[in-house]
Amino acid sequence: MSLTSTLLMTPFLTALLVLLVPGNYRFVVRCLALLGSLVTAILGVVLFLKFDPTGAPYQFEGLSTWVSSSVFRLNYHVGVDGIAAAMLLVTSLVGFAAVAVSWDIDKQTKLFLILLLVMIGGALGAFASLDLFFFYFFNELALVPTFIMIGVWGVGEDRTYAAYKITMYLTAGAMVALIGLIALYTLSGANTLDIVELQKHLAKTPLSSSAQAFIFPCLLFGFGTLVGLFPFHSWAPQGYGCAPSATAMMHAGILKKAGLFALLRVALPMMPEGVARWMPVLAILCVGNLLYCGFVAMRQRDLNLLIGNSSLAHMGFAFLGIASVTVVGLTGAVLVMVSHALLAALSFALSAWIRHQTGTLEIAKMGGLLKRMPFIGSVLTLCFLAGCGVPGFANFAGELAVMFGAWKGLPWIVVVAAWGGLVIGGVYMLRALRTILHGNAGVMLPSLIDAPTAWRKFPFVLLAGGLLLFGIFPNALTRRILPAVTRVAELARPAAVPAATAAPVTAAAVVTPATPASN
Amino acid sequence: MDPLATQHAVEAGSKYQDLAWMVLASPLICGAGSWFLARRIRGLTAGFNIAGVVISFILGLILLGISGDHPLAATAFHWLPIPGADFTLGLQVDRLSALMTLVVTTVATLVMIYSTAYMHDDASFSRFFCTLSLFVFSMLGIVLADNLVMIFIFWELVGVSSYLLIGFWHERPAAGDAAKKAFLTNRIGDFGFLLGILIIWGATGTVNISELSAKFGANPGLLGSMAGVAGLLVFMGAMGKSAQFPLHVWLPDAMEGPTPVSALIHAATMVAAGVYMLCRVFFIYTAQPGWPVPLEFLGNLGAGSIIGCIGGFTALLAALIAVQQNDIKRILAYSTLSQLGYMVMAVGLGAQIGTPASGMYHLVTHAFFKAMLFLGAGSVIHACHHEQDIWKMGGLRTKMPQTFWTFLIGTAALAGLPPFSGFYSKDEVLVTALQVNPILFVVAVLVAILTTFYMCRLVLVAFFGEARSDSASHAHESPGSMTFPLLVLAVPSVAIAWIPLGEFISGAFGGHGHGHGHAAVAAGEKHAVGLMPLIDNLSNGINEALFGPFNHNALAATMGLFAVLLGSSLAWTLYGKATSDPLPGILGGWARLLKGRFYFDEIYSGVIIPLHDCAAAVTDWADRWLVSGLGIRGLHGSVELVGRALRLVQSGNLQTYTFLFAAGLAVVAWFTLR
Repeated sequence: MSLTSTLLMTPFLTALLVLLVPGNYRFVVRCLALLGSLVTAILGVVLFLKFDPTGAPYQFEGLSTWVSSSVFRLNYHVGVDGIAAAMLLVTSLVGFAAVAVSWDIDKQTKLFLILLLVMIGGALGAFASLDLFFFYFFNELALVPTFIMIGVWGVGEDRTYAAYKITMYLTAGAMVALIGLIALYTLSGANTLDIVELQKHLAKTPLSSSAQAFIFPCLLFGFGTLVGLFPFHSWAPQGYGCAPSATAMMHAGILKKAGLFALLRVALPMMPEGVARWMPVLAILCVGNLLYCGFVAMRQRDLNLLIGNSSLAHMGFAFLGIASVTVVGLTGAVLVMVSHALLAALSFALSAWIRHQTGTLEIAKMGGLLKRMPFIGSVLTLCFLAGCGVPGFANFAGELAVMFGAWKGLPWIVVVAAWGGLVIGGVYMLRALRTILHGNAGVMLPSLIDAPTAWRKFPFVLLAGGLLLFGIFPNALTRRILPAVTRVAELARPAAVPAATAAPVTAAAVVTPATPASN
Repeated sequence: MDPLATQHAVEAGSKYQDLAWMVLASPLICGAGSWFLARRIRGLTAGFNIAGVVISFILGLILLGISGDHPLAATAFHWLPIPGADFTLGLQVDRLSALMTLVVTTVATLVMIYSTAYMHDDASFSRFFCTLSLFVFSMLGIVLADNLVMIFIFWELVGVSSYLLIGFWHERPAAGDAAKKAFLTNRIGDFGFLLGILIIWGATGTVNISELSAKFGANPGLLGSMAGVAGLLVFMGAMGKSAQFPLHVWLPDAMEGPTPVSALIHAATMVAAGVYMLCRVFFIYTAQPGWPVPLEFLGNLGAGSIIGCIGGFTALLAALIAVQQNDIKRILAYSTLSQLGYMVMAVGLGAQIGTPASGMYHLVTHAFFKAMLFLGAGSVIHACHHEQDIWKMGGLRTKMPQTFWTFLIGTAALAGLPPFSGFYSKDEVLVTALQVNPILFVVAVLVAILTTFYMCRLVLVAFFGEARSDSASHAHESPGSMTFPLLVLAVPSVAIAWIPLGEFISGAFGGHGHGHGHAAVAAGEKHAVGLMPLIDNLSNGINEALFGPFNHNALAATMGLFAVLLGSSLAWTLYGKATSDPLPGILGGWARLLKGRFYFDEIYSGVIIPLHDCAAAVTDWADRWLVSGLGIRGLHGSVELVGRALRLVQSGNLQTYTFLFAAGLAVVAWFTLR
């Protein structure tokens, strides 16, 4: 079995094992789930490190025919390119952190952990699939537990409404995307759902203009809704506001990115005419994410709603990178995807800890937490600084690349992005930090506990460490994702990418003397 | 840069680049090391962090000696290499950056030594030192960076360390507010800075400073109609960091941080980063001016002239405000603002005479004497049990002799009394203004008068007369680790007159200037102005050094001296024997306006912040009621309404079904038989 298959099967097998343990053996259940997710995380790291950027486009492939008839053929086909390797890495890390912070779940522990493991497995499957059917299947498989978890383990009075809302939105988005995918299957004439074969086929015989004009918006808005593209975004903050922390971490961090991932893997490389027609629209819409959601975030009094809205604003950067359709911009978009996965997971893990301790998420009711909880407070500072784009964290690298990539084509949108990222992002993040952390702790919060042991600190350290690591050495990511991104850019904009700039970069930390001509 | 120099750079680079990287890395490594190894042992923490900065200082000295006239480029680290936009981290050690490295590390070392006493009883002693080390690392990053993106990266990191240090006492609400304000105000400047970098990158395809310099040298019209806009946008970054009008409001509030932080970051180094950065990218301002269509009316006016006016205005504004402040740190803070305005004015006006040397010169002298003044103020505050109101001090002259004398030297230097350092650098600024813009020259002289006035007021009220409070009457001299840095910092304020620093700085910009330190010129060694000849010539031409300004430009020097005399005699008349401030009685409403700092904070918090909040409220409302309300709830509601309506039909009543069936048949029959 290929490494990819092993990786994505591990959470499912763990879920099966957990199923066999009686529900009242909570400690065993927890340990088993944690062990399973730890193995997944290690496999994710191994896969990321072993991925060879100079090698084949898709590595660690696994292929077996599932349905084979003259009219319909389905392959179980998995494999990773650089983008998928990066996403699998963060998925497995965030999955592990999510299981680790779920240590405190007491209500139906076993069911919760099984659902969480299915969610992790589904997310891994979606990023690893090289077949449209399996991509869709795994993505939905990961989404279903979201609804149940919000409904059953959620918090707040609105949780049922939030669960319905998120269900309606995501189902609608997924349906629209599905229409696009089916149309792609039927109109391509390739008689396959295999992404690699489809790409090859469409490179030779492109889709007709009318087909692209129909399919591309279906995919753009369908998958866009899954990401929270303005104006189809309002499910996100409320859903996250009510979700249990592990669910919010997995969904905001990981599942949201599946929509962007699908745009990069399916929509852009297969339909250059659709790209040319619809990317200007996407560029306008991402102003909505960058500015509008930023403003909305400024108004929030609830910590989770603030994080939710800010994560929508961050998605604006990813959309802007995609809308630029340049190698630099697309690389930036992938960096934003990866870094935001860690950031969103970290934010929701922290807000869950704070809620657990203070009993509230209302920002105005907190204060002076840095004094009472130095560790959590410090990590929250790091996290929010990362969120407003401070260098040293991976988000900055992504946002910088997006802005440079989009500058020549979309200068005004970049102006908006810079204002949204530097100023508005700074305003709401720092206001929240000021209110939550500074000042003197109120008397009404008597029993605040900082993360007590190294083990309880570990998930936070892991996620923050990832942000820092990729912020200082973003090249570890970019050298892996560049070949894939370059391919996407070439296919999406056949004429605009000269061969010279499309040459893959190979060296990790190329050391050359910095003569004035080194750039 | 000529090919020969490039070749030298490569050769030198291969040998000494590790050294250059160590200058940058040493504070970071030692800071991190102290955090992980010795967090709980105060002496060790301080030792580690001080060692880190001292290593940087020594290596910086060596680099200055080695690099001489030939810039040294250190190996680039490919931070984010993407084809089309290759972001690298590289160092460029030349005269300018080596000099700035020495300034930063000297002040940082002394401030750290000072802090061992000042922060001794603080529970977060090690956090303080580690954040200081982080700051020094970030600051050296700006200083040594060889490209604009790297400057921007460290620019932001400096902002972060400043944020962490202003808000160091996080249980104080005012500190939290000040930290937030500083960061956000800087962010507005950074927004412009980033766009400026993007414009330059978009037009030239590179962000490397020496490449840009070469390109601009070959083609001054490179940016075309965007030259002016790019220049102003880049200046916005400086406007934030160096607290120029209208982004000046954060600096006085930043005094909420511990006093050593104010001395290091908000007086000597970080706030000067804006001026330094302008010097670094000076080629943008000497380029051919140009404006896009809506701004075409500006014609041939360069961005530099506008910057010069903003600097002059800031200098005047802040000096006026300083006259009516009573908090010792706030007076110094406004004085810093005012002096930064001086530097910015000099650099901006320098665009027309082709060199920003005078601004840079003032930066260096100011860094030393202003750090000394702040540390002196800290010593006073420490002795008076955290009393900061000068009217509650008095008579400290005899109780704290070392602090008093060093403070006096600092005051003399800041006021610009010969032979203290400030006189020479201020003279250069005045000369620049006189050459380019006589109106700004008048403004500069006015600022000089005001500067002397408020500094003399501060000294007279705080150090002379009788003690006006218990804490002042029980004050005693601070411990040696606090007075030692004061004494060391007094040295450059006195001694700069004797070394040809101005000459050295002019050399850094390729010119030979007209500075007062004519030793090198006198010896006929126009081209050898490296470190060695500098020391060789130390003994030559002391007279020349002292009285150079009068020989060179008598009007500027005389006016400078006149300003000092006028300001100090005014201050003496008003405050010589005063026990309370007589000025409000004389100026009336004007004094209130000055004391209220022209109400900029109120205007901002009354206009700009509500504007953003209003936009936020509108979007939030739209999100709640239009997008989610009409959209989702509307959809949800209409589906439910249809459901309810249809439920009425499903009554389970057989007669109803029969009726509906018959009615349906009738409708179908009507349609078909029509």
